[in-house]
Amino acid sequence: MKKKILFMILTMGMLTCFLLTSALTATAQPPAKPAAAGKPIIIGVPTSLYTPFGRDGLKAVNLAVEEVNAKGGVLVGKEKRPFKVVVTDTRDGEPATPTHDALMAYEKLLLEQKPHAVLIAPFRSEALIASMDLVAKYKVPQIHTIAQTPAFQRQFRTDPEKYKYLFRVTTDATVPGMYISRALDLLKKEFNLENLYILYQDTLWAKAFADVVKKHGQETGWKEVGYDAYAAGASDFSPGLTKAKEGKAQVIAMMWDVPLGAGIFAKQYVAMQVPALLVGFIPPMGSPAAVRAVGPEVEYSITVEFPVGASLPLKKLPKTLEFLDKFKKKYKDLPEPPAVNSSAYDSVFILAQAIERAGTLDADKLVTALEQTDYKGVSGRIRFNKEQHTAIFGDKDPNETGVAVVFQWQKDKAGTLTRVPIYPDFVAEGKVMLPPWMK
Amino acid sequence: MSLLIYGTITSIILALYAAGFSLAYGISGLANFAHGALYILTGYSVWTFLNQIGLPYFLSALLSVIIIGFLGFALYWGLLLRVRGVPLAELIVTFAAGIAILELLMWKGFYGIQYSLPLFVRGGVKLGGVAVDYQRLFVIGTGIVLVVLLYLFVHHTKIGLAFRGMAQNERTALSVGIESDWIGSLSLAAGSALAAVAAVVVLPLGVMESAIGYEVLIYALAVAIIGGLESTPGMILGSFIIGFGQVATAKYLGPKWMIIVPLVAIILVLAVRPSGLFGQFKELEERI
Repeated sequence: MKKKILFMILTMGMLTCFLLTSALTATAQPPAKPAAAGKPIIIGVPTSLYTPFGRDGLKAVNLAVEEVNAKGGVLVGKEKRPFKVVVTDTRDGEPATPTHDALMAYEKLLLEQKPHAVLIAPFRSEALIASMDLVAKYKVPQIHTIAQTPAFQRQFRTDPEKYKYLFRVTTDATVPGMYISRALDLLKKEFNLENLYILYQDTLWAKAFADVVKKHGQETGWKEVGYDAYAAGASDFSPGLTKAKEGKAQVIAMMWDVPLGAGIFAKQYVAMQVPALLVGFIPPMGSPAAVRAVGPEVEYSITVEFPVGASLPLKKLPKTLEFLDKFKKKYKDLPEPPAVNSSAYDSVFILAQAIERAGTLDADKLVTALEQTDYKGVSGRIRFNKEQHTAIFGDKDPNETGVAVVFQWQKDKAGTLTRVPIYPDFVAEGKVMLPPWMK
Repeated sequence: MSLLIYGTITSIILALYAAGFSLAYGISGLANFAHGALYILTGYSVWTFLNQIGLPYFLSALLSVIIIGFLGFALYWGLLLRVRGVPLAELIVTFAAGIAILELLMWKGFYGIQYSLPLFVRGGVKLGGVAVDYQRLFVIGTGIVLVVLLYLFVHHTKIGLAFRGMAQNERTALSVGIESDWIGSLSLAAGSALAAVAAVVVLPLGVMESAIGYEVLIYALAVAIIGGLESTPGMILGSFIIGFGQVATAKYLGPKWMIIVPLVAIILVLAVRPSGLFGQFKELEERI
């Protein structure tokens, strides 16, 4: 019997190892090692590593850190010092993780690794808001690049002196909301569409995004077929899709970031043959891997990428080409989510410049230097609004503000599905198209 | 009509989630808390065979079902045998094994939209004016076929009869020569294989993520608790209560409330009829 038990254990172990190791898939990237001499400047990255946003954001940070270190590092006073990245997984992007657990992981990083600055930061907006007091307590400059809630600004304004260590270098949810509103304007103007169904993930950022689109729809004469929130862990969207279909929605606007729900939605939308155009932020539909993951039905779907350069190379913005080319060379693939990766990349250079301006790693002096940021990066020109420490975004000129882009999956002349930028005009490479089944 | 069709589909998906869990518990009294982990492991296993090794889809699925069934079998002999008969220890062991599998999958980088299984057949049909894709029809068919096969298996095969003997009374089964460890391990293997079959047909409807393992376990538990942990008819009824409850809740209260339906149902059933709607064991204990 003992032999039998031993045999079973060995077999189980071997099978498990086989299954887990045979797929040579992407793993979380180890932190970049400092190449330059000198005592390292510690960059803390407390984020949800096992989400595409956290994973690819970290890759972008490591890429930028390697570039900075390859040039000798950052000048702190008279000494050149390399960056060193230390990472902790807050897991706040996973639907069942309590915010408290994410904060504990964050605090552990601050206490044990003693970073000089924090980049990327929590994934989920709720965790970001909850972490603001933590950052204020430990007085570590934080430049966050994922969480999108405008509640950050509201909280910041309650006590700017206390929260002065916090900066947002990416968009907030109202920016993609504004871009999608412009896309709705295009659809109304070009094709006279009028029935809109809005579906969003019941989280702070997505609600803020959806509210902007809803308000714009009401102001511009769209007939609202429905406005529904789904729990972040939802795995069945048939009620919403049925409602959209029965209400004769011509456009479904969706705001979602959890890959599981977004993936199920994308496939269910295709399966239920809802004759409506999909617009919004649904990562599996907007990702470079969308055709592989969802299928050819991604054609005509419209996605906002915020900010530019997150995953879509734009011919008219060479810095997006440059960043994504480097990313692809290093990691063999483009970043997956069509959001925030370029912000993570830019944040490293913004921090490096601020340190050099400050000439010290003293947190208060670094905050003052960060407030003076004027950086032309992948995501546009980054300057901070000093009243709320958020990067200024617009849709007019990438030489003046940070910018985003709206694109549509269309077939090129060879019949290959590609992502065609359609708004704003300064990056557009094509015009919005209506599917033949909607004409 | 839409409520009827998608309520039925959701219910059958839930029944598929719970079938293996309910079967293993009904026969051997083992609550396999690694059930959800084995479910999602199946998905990644199929993906690996399909995309990394290049096997045909059907063969990838078949191999995965066999491997997961064997893992369930090995789980019994490797881990559960030592704690057999101590329900709390059994629960902890299976739960720990499940967490280990899920965390290993995440650690190895199994997340992101590339981990998506293709649909068996693209396209769909209209039933009463409601569009339904072939994959969901396949899910319904699989659910029905599995129930029929399970019935035939436990009523007309030697092992199936031994399963029933064990389910009715383990000591009496022992006295007539039924080896309880073998039947226990076979029940766990069958339960795991059923989880794998569910994964093969349901996962192509979306993308894969380790967190699905927890979701499947919660739904399986909810269905089993509502219907009665050891009862197959109860499991089916529990699935339909939650399935239609969710679809109706989404329609009349809003989709964001769907997620609490199984939890509310569990609380109500535990308050009114703790042994579940079709459960017998606890009810007998209560009478005594």
